[in-house]
Amino acid sequence: MSEATASFADHAAIAVGDVIPPLERTITLTDMVAYAGATWDWHKLHYDTAYVAEKKLPGPIVDGQVFGALLVEMLQDWLGPQSFVRELEFTFRNLVFAGETLRCAGTVTEVGEDRISVSMSVVVVAEDGSDGRAAAAPASAVVLLGTPDGPGAPA
Amino acid sequence: MSLLTDEVRALEGQTRVYTAPEPFGAAAGRYFGLAIGDDNPLYSDPDYARAQGLAGVTAPLTLVCETNQYAGLPMDAEGYAGHTWQLDIPGTRQVRGGNKYTFHRRIRPEDVVTATWRITSVTEKVTGSGNQMLIVGSTATYTNQEDELLAENAETIIFVGLEKKA
Repeated sequence: MSEATASFADHAAIAVGDVIPPLERTITLTDMVAYAGATWDWHKLHYDTAYVAEKKLPGPIVDGQVFGALLVEMLQDWLGPQSFVRELEFTFRNLVFAGETLRCAGTVTEVGEDRISVSMSVVVVAEDGSDGRAAAAPASAVVLLGTPDGPGAPA
Repeated sequence: MSLLTDEVRALEGQTRVYTAPEPFGAAAGRYFGLAIGDDNPLYSDPDYARAQGLAGVTAPLTLVCETNQYAGLPMDAEGYAGHTWQLDIPGTRQVRGGNKYTFHRRIRPEDVVTATWRITSVTEKVTGSGNQMLIVGSTATYTNQEDELLAENAETIIFVGLEKKA
Protein backbone atom coordinates (compact mmCIF):
# COMPACT_ATOMS: atom_id res chain seq x y z
CA MET A 1 0.00 0.00 0.00
CA SER A 2 1.19 3.52 -0.61
CA GLU A 3 -0.42 6.68 0.66
CA ALA A 4 -0.72 8.14 -2.82
CA THR A 5 -2.59 5.18 -4.31
CA ALA A 6 -4.51 3.86 -1.32
CA SER A 7 -8.28 3.54 -1.60
CA PHE A 8 -10.16 1.98 1.23
CA ALA A 9 -13.47 0.21 1.72
CA ASP A 10 -16.57 2.33 2.34
CA HIS A 11 -17.28 1.32 5.94
CA ALA A 12 -21.00 2.16 5.63
CA ALA A 13 -21.41 -0.21 2.68
CA ILE A 14 -19.80 -3.30 4.22
CA ALA A 15 -22.19 -6.27 4.39
CA VAL A 16 -22.11 -9.85 5.66
CA GLY A 17 -20.54 -12.06 3.02
CA ASP A 18 -18.27 -9.37 1.60
CA VAL A 19 -14.94 -10.82 0.54
CA ILE A 20 -11.79 -9.13 1.85
CA PRO A 21 -9.19 -8.40 -0.86
CA PRO A 22 -6.69 -11.22 -0.32
CA LEU A 23 -3.06 -10.66 0.58
CA GLU A 24 -0.28 -12.86 -0.82
CA ARG A 25 3.31 -12.80 0.33
CA THR A 26 6.29 -14.98 -0.51
CA ILE A 27 8.44 -15.38 2.59
CA THR A 28 12.07 -15.64 1.56
CA LEU A 29 14.92 -16.63 3.85
CA THR A 30 16.09 -13.01 3.70
CA ASP A 31 12.65 -11.87 4.91
CA MET A 32 12.92 -14.37 7.75
CA VAL A 33 16.33 -13.05 8.79
CA ALA A 34 14.88 -9.52 8.80
CA TYR A 35 11.90 -10.75 10.84
CA ALA A 36 14.19 -12.48 13.34
CA GLY A 37 15.98 -9.18 13.88
CA ALA A 38 12.77 -7.17 14.13
CA THR A 39 11.35 -9.47 16.81
CA TRP A 40 14.55 -10.23 18.73
CA ASP A 41 13.97 -13.92 17.98
CA TRP A 42 17.15 -15.48 16.63
CA HIS A 43 16.15 -19.13 17.04
CA LYS A 44 18.13 -21.19 14.53
CA LEU A 45 14.97 -22.87 13.25
CA HIS A 46 14.17 -19.69 11.36
CA TYR A 47 17.36 -19.20 9.31
CA ASP A 48 20.10 -21.80 9.93
CA THR A 49 19.92 -24.26 7.03
CA ALA A 50 22.50 -26.65 8.54
CA TYR A 51 20.59 -26.71 11.84
CA VAL A 52 17.24 -27.50 10.19
CA ALA A 53 18.88 -30.16 8.01
CA GLU A 54 20.11 -31.84 11.19
CA LYS A 55 16.51 -31.78 12.44
CA LYS A 56 15.43 -33.38 9.11
CA LEU A 57 13.20 -30.43 8.26
CA PRO A 58 12.75 -29.42 4.60
CA GLY A 59 13.88 -25.84 5.29
CA PRO A 60 13.95 -23.01 7.81
CA ILE A 61 10.55 -22.59 9.47
CA VAL A 62 8.59 -19.36 9.07
CA ASP A 63 7.70 -17.98 12.51
CA GLY A 64 3.99 -18.70 12.89
CA GLN A 65 3.30 -15.33 14.40
CA VAL A 66 3.96 -13.80 10.98
CA PHE A 67 0.51 -15.10 10.04
CA GLY A 68 -1.08 -12.75 12.58
CA ALA A 69 0.90 -9.78 11.27
CA LEU A 70 -0.20 -10.53 7.69
CA LEU A 71 -3.85 -10.88 8.70
CA VAL A 72 -3.75 -7.46 10.37
CA GLU A 73 -2.04 -6.01 7.29
CA MET A 74 -4.78 -7.43 5.05
CA LEU A 75 -7.50 -5.88 7.22
CA GLN A 76 -5.74 -2.55 7.62
CA ASP A 77 -5.03 -2.25 3.90
CA TRP A 78 -8.70 -2.92 3.16
CA LEU A 79 -10.30 -0.76 5.83
CA GLY A 80 -7.75 2.06 5.99
CA PRO A 81 -6.31 4.00 8.92
CA GLN A 82 -9.73 4.83 10.40
CA SER A 83 -10.05 1.26 11.70
CA PHE A 84 -8.57 -0.71 14.58
CA VAL A 85 -8.22 -4.48 14.89
CA ARG A 86 -9.58 -5.09 18.38
CA GLU A 87 -9.39 -8.89 18.51
CA LEU A 88 -7.43 -11.40 16.45
CA GLU A 89 -7.50 -15.17 16.91
CA PHE A 90 -5.83 -17.91 14.90
CA THR A 91 -5.04 -21.60 15.20
CA PHE A 92 -1.85 -23.07 13.77
CA ARG A 93 -2.27 -25.94 11.32
CA ASN A 94 0.96 -26.70 9.45
CA LEU A 95 4.56 -25.55 9.32
CA VAL A 96 5.53 -23.13 6.55
CA PHE A 97 9.05 -23.10 5.09
CA ALA A 98 11.34 -20.49 3.56
CA GLY A 99 10.41 -19.64 -0.02
CA GLU A 100 6.75 -20.58 0.26
CA THR A 101 3.96 -18.16 -0.65
CA LEU A 102 1.17 -17.46 1.81
CA ARG A 103 -2.34 -16.38 0.87
CA CYS A 104 -4.52 -14.62 3.45
CA ALA A 105 -8.23 -14.47 2.75
CA GLY A 106 -11.39 -13.64 4.60
CA THR A 107 -15.08 -12.76 4.56
CA VAL A 108 -17.31 -10.58 6.71
CA THR A 109 -19.44 -12.59 9.14
CA GLU A 110 -21.13 -9.85 11.21
CA VAL A 111 -21.74 -6.14 10.79
CA GLY A 112 -22.49 -3.92 13.78
CA GLU A 113 -22.92 -0.21 14.24
CA ASP A 114 -19.22 0.48 14.84
CA ARG A 115 -17.51 -2.85 14.17
CA ILE A 116 -17.36 -5.88 11.93
CA SER A 117 -16.40 -9.50 12.52
CA VAL A 118 -14.49 -11.43 9.91
CA SER A 119 -13.53 -15.05 9.33
CA MET A 120 -10.11 -15.60 7.77
CA SER A 121 -7.54 -18.19 6.78
CA VAL A 122 -3.89 -18.38 5.81
CA VAL A 123 -2.88 -21.07 3.32
CA VAL A 124 0.27 -21.99 1.44
CA VAL A 125 -0.23 -21.38 -2.27
CA ALA A 126 0.20 -24.64 -4.19
CA GLU A 127 2.29 -24.93 -7.36
CA ASP A 128 -0.82 -24.62 -9.55
CA GLY A 129 -1.91 -21.48 -7.72
CA SER A 130 -4.69 -23.14 -5.77
CA ASP A 131 -5.00 -23.16 -1.98
CA GLY A 132 -2.55 -25.68 -0.57
CA ARG A 133 -2.15 -26.78 3.03
CA ALA A 134 -3.57 -24.57 5.76
CA ALA A 135 -1.08 -22.52 7.75
CA ALA A 136 -3.59 -20.87 10.10
CA ALA A 137 -7.27 -21.78 10.27
CA PRO A 138 -9.67 -20.98 11.63
CA ALA A 139 -8.81 -17.34 12.12
CA SER A 140 -11.08 -14.46 13.02
CA ALA A 141 -11.02 -10.81 13.97
CA VAL A 142 -13.20 -8.05 15.31
CA VAL A 143 -12.40 -4.66 13.78
CA LEU A 144 -13.59 -1.28 15.08
CA LEU A 145 -14.63 1.12 12.31
CA GLY A 146 -14.37 4.90 12.22
CA THR A 147 -11.49 5.10 14.67
CA PRO A 148 -7.71 5.02 14.22
CA ASP A 149 -7.08 3.66 17.70
CA GLY A 150 -8.47 1.35 20.37
CA PRO A 151 -10.62 1.98 23.41
CA GLY A 152 -7.53 2.27 25.61
CA ALA A 153 -6.27 5.33 23.74
CA PRO A 154 -6.62 8.71 25.43
CA ALA A 155 -9.82 10.51 24.42
CA MET B 1 0.65 -43.07 32.64
CA SER B 2 -0.90 -39.60 32.76
CA LEU B 3 1.05 -36.60 31.51
CA LEU B 4 -0.82 -34.54 34.09
CA THR B 5 1.48 -35.19 37.02
CA ASP B 6 1.43 -33.27 40.30
CA GLU B 7 4.49 -31.39 39.08
CA VAL B 8 2.69 -30.36 35.90
CA ARG B 9 -0.48 -29.42 37.82
CA ALA B 10 1.62 -27.15 40.00
CA LEU B 11 2.49 -25.05 36.95
CA GLU B 12 -0.97 -23.47 36.90
CA GLY B 13 -0.84 -19.94 38.24
CA GLN B 14 2.90 -19.49 37.72
CA THR B 15 3.77 -15.94 36.69
CA ARG B 16 6.75 -14.21 35.08
CA VAL B 17 7.07 -10.45 34.75
CA TYR B 18 9.48 -8.66 32.39
CA THR B 19 9.94 -4.93 31.88
CA ALA B 20 11.72 -3.63 28.79
CA PRO B 21 15.01 -1.87 29.52
CA GLU B 22 14.08 0.99 27.17
CA PRO B 23 11.09 2.62 25.42
CA PHE B 24 9.64 0.71 22.46
CA GLY B 25 10.98 3.27 19.99
CA ALA B 26 9.76 4.41 16.57
CA ALA B 27 12.43 2.39 14.78
CA ALA B 28 11.04 -0.88 16.17
CA GLY B 29 7.71 -0.42 14.40
CA ARG B 30 9.24 0.86 11.18
CA TYR B 31 11.72 -2.02 11.06
CA PHE B 32 9.00 -4.61 11.74
CA GLY B 33 6.93 -3.13 8.89
CA LEU B 34 9.91 -3.49 6.58
CA ALA B 35 10.56 -7.06 7.72
CA ILE B 36 7.02 -8.26 7.03
CA GLY B 37 6.58 -6.22 3.85
CA ASP B 38 3.92 -3.91 5.30
CA ASP B 39 4.50 -0.39 3.94
CA ASN B 40 1.57 1.24 5.76
CA PRO B 41 2.66 4.84 6.45
CA LEU B 42 1.15 4.66 9.95
CA TYR B 43 4.43 2.96 10.88
CA SER B 44 6.84 5.33 9.16
CA ASP B 45 5.27 8.73 8.41
CA PRO B 46 4.46 10.85 11.49
CA ASP B 47 2.59 13.47 9.45
CA TYR B 48 0.33 10.82 7.93
CA ALA B 49 -0.26 9.24 11.35
CA ARG B 50 -1.13 12.62 12.91
CA ALA B 51 -3.52 13.35 10.04
CA GLN B 52 -5.40 10.20 11.05
CA GLY B 53 -5.75 11.35 14.66
CA LEU B 54 -2.79 9.52 16.18
CA ALA B 55 -0.08 11.19 18.23
CA GLY B 56 2.54 10.05 15.72
CA VAL B 57 3.89 6.84 14.24
CA THR B 58 2.91 3.56 15.80
CA ALA B 59 3.98 -0.08 15.47
CA PRO B 60 2.10 -2.78 13.57
CA LEU B 61 -0.42 -4.08 16.10
CA THR B 62 0.91 -7.59 16.57
CA LEU B 63 4.50 -6.56 17.18
CA VAL B 64 4.03 -6.12 20.93
CA CYS B 65 2.93 -9.78 21.06
CA GLU B 66 5.78 -10.98 18.82
CA THR B 67 8.83 -9.15 20.03
CA ASN B 68 11.25 -10.33 22.69
CA GLN B 69 12.45 -6.77 23.20
CA TYR B 70 10.90 -6.52 26.65
CA ALA B 71 12.44 -9.72 27.97
CA GLY B 72 16.05 -8.62 28.32
CA LEU B 73 17.09 -12.28 28.41
CA PRO B 74 20.31 -13.77 27.03
CA MET B 75 20.20 -16.01 23.96
CA ASP B 76 19.99 -19.72 24.71
CA ALA B 77 22.08 -22.30 22.87
CA GLU B 78 19.65 -22.26 19.93
CA GLY B 79 19.57 -18.49 19.65
CA TYR B 80 16.25 -17.86 21.43
CA ALA B 81 16.14 -14.87 23.78
CA GLY B 82 12.50 -14.67 24.78
CA HIS B 83 10.14 -15.85 27.48
CA THR B 84 9.48 -19.58 27.78
CA TRP B 85 8.12 -21.66 30.62
CA GLN B 86 11.06 -24.05 30.14
CA LEU B 87 8.70 -27.00 30.24
CA ASP B 88 10.26 -30.37 29.57
CA ILE B 89 7.63 -33.08 29.27
CA PRO B 90 9.47 -36.36 28.52
CA GLY B 91 8.04 -38.53 25.75
CA THR B 92 6.23 -35.67 24.01
CA ARG B 93 6.72 -33.28 21.12
CA GLN B 94 5.73 -29.67 21.54
CA VAL B 95 3.46 -27.90 19.03
CA ARG B 96 1.86 -24.47 19.07
CA GLY B 97 -1.90 -24.37 19.29
CA GLY B 98 -2.77 -20.78 18.55
CA ASN B 99 -3.10 -17.25 19.85
CA LYS B 100 -5.89 -14.87 20.73
CA TYR B 101 -4.88 -11.23 20.86
CA THR B 102 -6.92 -8.37 22.29
CA PHE B 103 -5.56 -4.94 21.45
CA HIS B 104 -6.48 -1.99 23.66
CA ARG B 105 -4.59 0.76 21.89
CA ARG B 106 -1.76 1.32 19.45
CA ILE B 107 1.82 1.28 20.72
CA ARG B 108 3.54 4.65 20.93
CA PRO B 109 7.33 4.97 20.65
CA GLU B 110 7.59 6.23 24.25
CA ASP B 111 5.82 3.18 25.73
CA VAL B 112 8.01 1.09 28.03
CA VAL B 113 6.42 -2.34 27.88
CA THR B 114 5.94 -4.67 30.82
CA ALA B 115 4.80 -8.18 29.94
CA THR B 116 3.18 -10.30 32.64
CA TRP B 117 2.95 -13.97 31.67
CA ARG B 118 0.77 -16.42 33.60
CA ILE B 119 -0.09 -20.08 33.14
CA THR B 120 -3.89 -20.15 33.22
CA SER B 121 -4.67 -23.82 32.60
CA VAL B 122 -3.09 -27.21 32.28
CA THR B 123 -5.38 -29.92 30.91
CA GLU B 124 -5.02 -33.39 29.45
CA LYS B 125 -6.81 -34.96 26.47
CA VAL B 126 -6.42 -37.97 24.22
CA THR B 127 -6.17 -37.32 20.48
CA GLY B 128 -8.38 -39.06 17.94
CA SER B 129 -5.45 -41.33 17.09
CA GLY B 130 -5.03 -42.30 20.75
CA ASN B 131 -2.07 -40.14 21.75
CA GLN B 132 -2.07 -38.33 25.06
CA MET B 133 -1.96 -34.58 24.87
CA LEU B 134 -1.13 -31.97 27.49
CA ILE B 135 -2.55 -28.52 26.76
CA VAL B 136 -0.94 -25.55 28.49
CA GLY B 137 -2.77 -22.22 28.28
CA SER B 138 -1.01 -19.01 29.21
CA THR B 139 -1.66 -15.31 28.91
CA ALA B 140 0.58 -12.31 28.50
CA THR B 141 -0.70 -8.92 29.57
CA TYR B 142 1.20 -5.95 28.15
CA THR B 143 1.14 -2.64 30.01
CA ASN B 144 3.27 0.50 29.90
CA GLN B 145 5.08 2.63 32.49
CA GLU B 146 1.78 4.35 33.38
CA ASP B 147 0.18 0.94 33.92
CA GLU B 148 -2.00 1.51 30.85
CA LEU B 149 -3.27 -1.72 29.29
CA LEU B 150 -1.86 -2.14 25.77
CA ALA B 151 -2.72 -5.69 24.72
CA GLU B 152 -3.43 -9.22 25.90
CA ASN B 153 -2.24 -12.45 24.34
CA ALA B 154 -3.73 -15.84 25.20
CA GLU B 155 -1.63 -18.66 23.82
CA THR B 156 -1.88 -22.43 23.73
CA ILE B 157 1.02 -24.87 23.68
CA ILE B 158 0.33 -28.57 23.17
CA PHE B 159 2.57 -31.45 24.22
CA VAL B 160 1.61 -34.52 22.19
CA GLY B 161 2.63 -37.91 23.57
CA LEU B 162 4.80 -39.90 21.20
CA GLU B 163 3.22 -43.21 22.21
CA LYS B 164 -0.44 -44.14 22.07
CA LYS B 165 -2.30 -44.44 25.36
CA ALA B 166 -2.50 -48.08 26.45
